[in-house]
Amino acid sequence: MPMLELRGVGFGYGARPVLADLSLRVECGEAAALIGPNGAGKTTLLRVLAGGLEPSEGQVLLEGEPLHTLPRKERARHVALVPQGFDVPFEFTVEQIVEQGRSPYLGLLRGMMREDRLAVDRALALTDASGLRHRIFNELSGGERQRVKIALGLAQEPKLLLLDEPTQNLDIGRQVELLDLLDHLRHEGLTVFASIHDLHLVQGNFSAVHLLSPGGALVSGRPEEVMTPRRLADAFHCPPGRHPLLMG
Amino acid sequence: MAAEVSNAGVPPIASPTPGLPGVGAGSGSALAPVAAGKVRLAAVVVLLTLVLGVAVLVSVSLGAYRLAVREMLAALFRGRTLSPMQHAILFQVRLPRVLASALVGAALSVSGLMFQGLFRNPMADPYIIGASGGAAVGACIGIVFLAQWSLLGFSATALLAFAGAVLTMFVVYGLARTRGRSSGVTLLLAGFAVGMMLSNSTYLFEIFDPNPATGGRIVSAWLRGVVGVPEWRQLAVAAAMLAAALVVAYPLMRRLNTLALGDEYAERLGVRVELARVGIVLVGSLLTALAVSLGGLISFAGLIVPHVTRLWLGPDHVRLLPVTALAGAIFLVVTDTAARTLFAPMEVPVGVVMVFVGGPFFLYLLRKNKREYSL
Repeated sequence: MPMLELRGVGFGYGARPVLADLSLRVECGEAAALIGPNGAGKTTLLRVLAGGLEPSEGQVLLEGEPLHTLPRKERARHVALVPQGFDVPFEFTVEQIVEQGRSPYLGLLRGMMREDRLAVDRALALTDASGLRHRIFNELSGGERQRVKIALGLAQEPKLLLLDEPTQNLDIGRQVELLDLLDHLRHEGLTVFASIHDLHLVQGNFSAVHLLSPGGALVSGRPEEVMTPRRLADAFHCPPGRHPLLMG
Repeated sequence: MAAEVSNAGVPPIASPTPGLPGVGAGSGSALAPVAAGKVRLAAVVVLLTLVLGVAVLVSVSLGAYRLAVREMLAALFRGRTLSPMQHAILFQVRLPRVLASALVGAALSVSGLMFQGLFRNPMADPYIIGASGGAAVGACIGIVFLAQWSLLGFSATALLAFAGAVLTMFVVYGLARTRGRSSGVTLLLAGFAVGMMLSNSTYLFEIFDPNPATGGRIVSAWLRGVVGVPEWRQLAVAAAMLAAALVVAYPLMRRLNTLALGDEYAERLGVRVELARVGIVLVGSLLTALAVSLGGLISFAGLIVPHVTRLWLGPDHVRLLPVTALAGAIFLVVTDTAARTLFAPMEVPVGVVMVFVGGPFFLYLLRKNKREYSL
């Protein structure tokens, strides 16, 4: 059974359709990349998959179960989304932020218990952010923030980790660090589905790729199958031969 | 190009990060934010409770007639009898007023803490969101038209101020809601607009007051904030309400920490954002109403006290709840004492003292910490 399956999913903001009739599968334990030009709806798709937006048509199945009928806390224990933008007011420490990932496990009268502290410790250790624990989030560098955002997602102890452009604004050293981290998480049993802006980073780091074009056409497969110069030129509306990736 | 990137010799993710200091930059300053757990919350609460106790005792002893602290302690705890005049001054004038100012300070500060957290905005307070404006209009109606009326020790002024604050918040909340949801920004803007209209309409009460001898002056004093001398049963009702509000506020504080990540993020983490928001607005405006019904429109406390406690202990709302309540009580006891003793026998509105004491202190903190607030 796939970890995630979309059947004819559509979504629009008001009357403006963004996603139409999308079907795709993400297998358990795989690392899948979502690519596509700006405005194709990558972020919207991830928000739908995280349960924040309800699809207007079709179904999202998480391990065979309809995602949007799961109780909200239950859903938050299975799926975490690491968003692209992330603004926090005030001077919260890294630890205080990562602790929020335990919210779906807490109740009105149930505060943080030992297992919650352990989950936070684990999330910080996995992302190599234990040393940042008492730092103030807003004072961190871009690469450090990215690790903390992922730690926040991991504190939810999800099965499926969604990431929205996790390599954006990172230098090449931090990009590779991040991709190694995703690979490591996959070996820990997580399923990873990330939108990736930088097409160079897809091959070798992701076993499956989904190319989303404006208007909702979707091509899925292994990177070398999907990312042909022709397809990319079509999807990105880029004249053939005008970009190194499109030289074939 | 791709090959170059993926072959770059980058340390594996398990590499240790350089040792980092436990506390962030600025640890040299006396009020640097302290990492959670570094300062025992219980110790801070005990300390502030002691300070509040001392402040109340000193405040009660000060005034046109000096009451020795030692005699009062003997009267309170060892049953020593005071002279009838001392007894009257202590129990019918000073103590009720000092306790009222403590209640007002705690209520205003906690409501400021809640509104700042809800709007993720350090400038939010009961004024900005309109609760104070609603209270002001209610109070003006009471002062001008129903001056003789009272219930349970509360004057019509107090009760109408209370009703005005709560009613305004429902109107604001209703205006900010579209399709069953409200956004924080819309709520803030709706509250600001409604609050400005309401608080400026009180000017009409000042100039069109039918009893020119007194009314206008009472209205204008009330609008600047004056803690009067309440009846004991009035105090008891207010204290019970404050206690209830703090109990209800406790679980909301954890929601506020999660809401700091943004509405949609909180929703994804399983928080019922809309429900939490209604709860926070309701408890926050009840606290505002409680404060204005005892002390009039006292500006600044709701803004400044949560700032100071946040700079001191960091932004975790759960920890800030008891500390902010106590600090607010202390702040108002001290400023109200100054308001009634500094220029005795004249009394300055406490709101005026508060602005002159709190303003510079606040600016000092901002400069000293040099940590900009990011919005």
